Amino acid sequence: MMHGTENQDEQGDRSLHTPKGSASRAPGSEADAPLLRLVGIDKSFPGVHALKNVSLDVYAGEVHVILGQNGAGKSTLIKTLYGAYAADRGYIEIEGRRVAVARPADASALGIAVIFQEFSLIPYLDIAQNIFLGREAAFSRFGLVDSAAMHAAARTILDGLGLDYDTHAYAADLGVAQQQMVEIAKALSQNARVLVMDEPTAAISERESDRLFQTIARLTEKRVAIVYISHRMKEVQMLGDRITILRDGAVVTSVLRDQKSQAEMVGAMIGRPSGSQLARTPRSPGEPVLLARDVNTAKLSDISIEILAGEVVGLAGLVGSGRTEVVRALFGADPIASGEIALFGSRALATLDRRVRAGMALLPEDRKREGLALPLDVRDNATVASLWRSFTSGWFSPAKAERDTRGLIAQLGIAAHGTRQSVHTLSGGNQQKVVLAKWLAAGSRLFLLDEPTRGVDVGAKAEIYRLIDQLVDGGAGVVVISSELPELVQLCDRAYVMRDHRIVGHLAGDQLTERAILELAVHQ
Amino acid sequence: MTIPATLDIRPSSLSPDAAALLGRFVLIVLIAGALTAVDPGFASVSNLLNMLRQASLLFLVASGLTLVIIGGGLDLSVGANLTLSACLAAAAIKTTGNPWYGVAVAIGAGTLIGYANGLMINRLQLPPFLATFGMLWVAQGIAYWFMAGQTIYGMPMSFRYFGTGFFLGVPLPIWITLVVCLACSILLHRTTFGREAYFMGANQTAALLSGVPVERRRLLLYVLSGLTAGIASLVYLARLNAAEPGIGEPLLLPAIAAVLVGGTSLFGGNGNIGGTALGAILLTIIVNGLNLLNVAATWHPFVNGAVVLVAIIADLVISRRRSGSG
Amino acid sequence: MSVTIQLQRRSGMGQFLSAIPGAGLLLILMLVLFTIVNPRFVSQTNLMNVGLQTSLLLMLALPMTLIIMTEGLDLSAGALLGLSGVIVAEALLAGWGVLAACAATLAVSIAFGALNGVLIAYLSLPAFVVTLGTMGLMQGIALVLTNGDPVGGFTPAIETFYRSQLWFIPTPIAIAAALYAALWLLLYRTRLGNYVIAIGGNKDALRLAGIRANLVHLAVYVLGSTIIGLSAVLLIGRTNSAHPTVGIGMEFEAIAAVVLGGTSFEKGQGWLFGAVLGALAITVLRNGLNILSIDSSLQVVCIGILLILALLIDQARKQFVRRTA
Repeated sequence: MMHGTENQDEQGDRSLHTPKGSASRAPGSEADAPLLRLVGIDKSFPGVHALKNVSLDVYAGEVHVILGQNGAGKSTLIKTLYGAYAADRGYIEIEGRRVAVARPADASALGIAVIFQEFSLIPYLDIAQNIFLGREAAFSRFGLVDSAAMHAAARTILDGLGLDYDTHAYAADLGVAQQQMVEIAKALSQNARVLVMDEPTAAISERESDRLFQTIARLTEKRVAIVYISHRMKEVQMLGDRITILRDGAVVTSVLRDQKSQAEMVGAMIGRPSGSQLARTPRSPGEPVLLARDVNTAKLSDISIEILAGEVVGLAGLVGSGRTEVVRALFGADPIASGEIALFGSRALATLDRRVRAGMALLPEDRKREGLALPLDVRDNATVASLWRSFTSGWFSPAKAERDTRGLIAQLGIAAHGTRQSVHTLSGGNQQKVVLAKWLAAGSRLFLLDEPTRGVDVGAKAEIYRLIDQLVDGGAGVVVISSELPELVQLCDRAYVMRDHRIVGHLAGDQLTERAILELAVHQ
Repeated sequence: MTIPATLDIRPSSLSPDAAALLGRFVLIVLIAGALTAVDPGFASVSNLLNMLRQASLLFLVASGLTLVIIGGGLDLSVGANLTLSACLAAAAIKTTGNPWYGVAVAIGAGTLIGYANGLMINRLQLPPFLATFGMLWVAQGIAYWFMAGQTIYGMPMSFRYFGTGFFLGVPLPIWITLVVCLACSILLHRTTFGREAYFMGANQTAALLSGVPVERRRLLLYVLSGLTAGIASLVYLARLNAAEPGIGEPLLLPAIAAVLVGGTSLFGGNGNIGGTALGAILLTIIVNGLNLLNVAATWHPFVNGAVVLVAIIADLVISRRRSGSG
Repeated sequence: MSVTIQLQRRSGMGQFLSAIPGAGLLLILMLVLFTIVNPRFVSQTNLMNVGLQTSLLLMLALPMTLIIMTEGLDLSAGALLGLSGVIVAEALLAGWGVLAACAATLAVSIAFGALNGVLIAYLSLPAFVVTLGTMGLMQGIALVLTNGDPVGGFTPAIETFYRSQLWFIPTPIAIAAALYAALWLLLYRTRLGNYVIAIGGNKDALRLAGIRANLVHLAVYVLGSTIIGLSAVLLIGRTNSAHPTVGIGMEFEAIAAVVLGGTSFEKGQGWLFGAVLGALAITVLRNGLNILSIDSSLQVVCIGILLILALLIDQARKQFVRRTA
């Protein structure tokens, strides 16, 4: 129901801000037609209307930033542009001509290149070989590759980007930022005219980011159009000639740089005034169940966190800010380099299995790979973490396991034919409930929930919220990671906000708002 | 609180596992029937018992391997383990004259090799096939060196009873097989260790993140595989009354074939020991049938190889269907 | 705390070891050691022996390097070597010409390579089980053809060929050197070589680059089998007889040589020259232990120990790379 009203809001908003093509022209761009146009793209998946009539104009030599929260439809949009998904409605134009992009190969042929967050370099080929992978024929002489010519060509491309990398270096020896640059070089060598970058700075340092921005500036000088996906306000305002904000699969607004303030953009991403959130009933937490002080790992710096019994604590931040790494370190899944973690008042619980037995539970982000044994049945999955507790002698009783599992199925309302149904045949929401059942059976008292409602339907979502309430009422401590800010604000008593692998803020009570979180998370 | 049982239990009486076992049993009966038609001597009690005795050796080697494969690993060293354990046990019996020293040595050597396998995989994070493949050659090399070209034969009768004796009219190796089969079955289905093994095999990461002490469990699986190889070496030694290098290695391929034919997936997390027992019987019957049809023994490796290939392709088809990705 | 210290110490060792190839280090160590123990070790005849033995091992280890670089394995290599020798011998005995006999072997080798390759590349079955199964097939055929007995009495031309010299280099060594050169060119100077490395590194990315990755993957196994099949001629030339089980165990030495040489089972990280170092290390070890009159079966155990050492090195390297990446 809420969705309906929100949509109407949006419609009004959009009609105000997207006068298609007329007022929006970048100062630097030519007065002629856009290089790339997406017109009225609509895409639905079962249960989700992922893209709603999205139109986008991208001009040569311009950086077009697409801004939006998780689930706003950015990645669906890219995949449609790249031919990985077929749009239900709408079409793509290049230089005014309608084109068909049915496969990634079509996109490449049209000069559209995408640099995903997962790179596609071959670790033990060198930079030149990677750039020209699959196109070595251009350098072949008598069946042998003219290595010198290939390296020279690679050199030219890298020089054009102002990169001094040794073209003989293996991709495996490059850092993330360097790999990204090689991906860019690879795209350019294929004469890409539109370069899509999916959160390119998510995994690289600030100095490396500066390098990337310089490269982007060079590319725009060469009339390459950049479609730049990001959450980071600083980058958006620095780079973006044109900024399009997506929310819930629809274009909220499309503006030129400086037409909107950062606050206005954050507001547009959230989509409703920040006062409209539901009132939380204040809880009265008890003793600390977890105390982490100055924890450092390979991926985290100085993490200090306190979780009390009977409260829900949020862990907010952008994707890649280190939230998952924090819960993994607390759980004992990743080694910590320094710092201390006290669980239920004890520092002695060093290994993961001892922490589980002490009452710690992790609901991983990727439940299929890390939470469940998909080919096994509900009973196997629901009992795996509590075998030590339910069968202290080491003897397993199928009858008891059966009883326990039925109790859990009833308690959580898992929609399964029975206890022996394979979990891979369950829906996402029911799979998630099986993971929760596993930890309820283990009698856990501290729950680390990493994106607990991702990929589950609305009904299951509400049940998961209700369950979290029950857990907390029963005296458990709960940590929730979520990219959905309304969810976080609604669920949590307080929240730590992360950025660049450290905790940058702590919000509680009335301070805990979507806007406050976003401002801390996106920085400046 | 509890759901009425009628809601959950569907009237179909056979679980998929039981149906698969039944299918294999029917296959065995069919082949046995066909062979009896060719040669009525096949169905004689003595031939059947003899075959079961052969199958029991294969089963013993394959039983520990089944446990390891269910847990997501692999043990290529079981055959060489049998060789070395048998040679050491034979020497121990010969020098001391006391069969129990032989039993202790075989079991000790077998489990030690299994322990070393587990250690290499846990500590060096070697792929199981590589660690156990290396162990195959090391154990074989030690056996050749230890025996120095000799064959040790002539075990005391009290020891040979293990391989040739009868109890209640049934050869003792078959009793040993039944005991090991039952023990493995209880271990897999009635202990928490067994349930954890299945889970590890199906998804090792999820097992680790559910608090299963994966490394300790894995070590135990390899130790058990070594233990059953050690037990098999005793049965072998008692039955054939001689130990020499190279006796166990030819068992590796049929053992893997028995496990795969028995319905245990090479990808882990699936399978059961009863299937392996039937698989061992099936393979023995095939070999026996080939002999009956006057096919030379030199064909055996070919047949074993073919069975492994057919079984793994079938396993692929089934497991892709099971996980819904095919 | 203890975790960090351990990691740092490991990375220090890794740095040291990645600067000097492990197999090379072990090789020099053994050369010095064996020479001190028995100066006869460096006599010309003995070194020639080492060269001849290494060349045969290389005929397996070089193609095995390519296969392992695709994150694969070929446990059937030794059995194929035995089978190919038997086929050549039997064909010669049946009155075929030398070339016809080689052609017959070639056909069989290519067929088995294709079988391995199809099952591994197209069906994505684990290489170790597939090749274990085909190993059984090959062993079986070799046994059936020979009834388990050695085959001798064929034309001495094969042995003459084995003992011949090109200029002053023994033919087997020349052939191994030529094979090394050819595979080096293939791996490092042709498109196919790039694709071989890419299969182990990121097969999906290769596919996205528009290459028929499965076909390349299959080709690696076919190429490997072809080389192994032809090298059987050298094997039967050495003893002037073919034995159906003579190749069994050679696959272990070949794999050990590749692993010793620093080729990893992951990500297509390989080094062709490493196989040469590895094969040399194994042959020198065996030869030196021979001179010390240590039983040949214990030599296998020593190779196993050498292999574990090499794997420890591989791991230390990997950890180092992971930390610095």
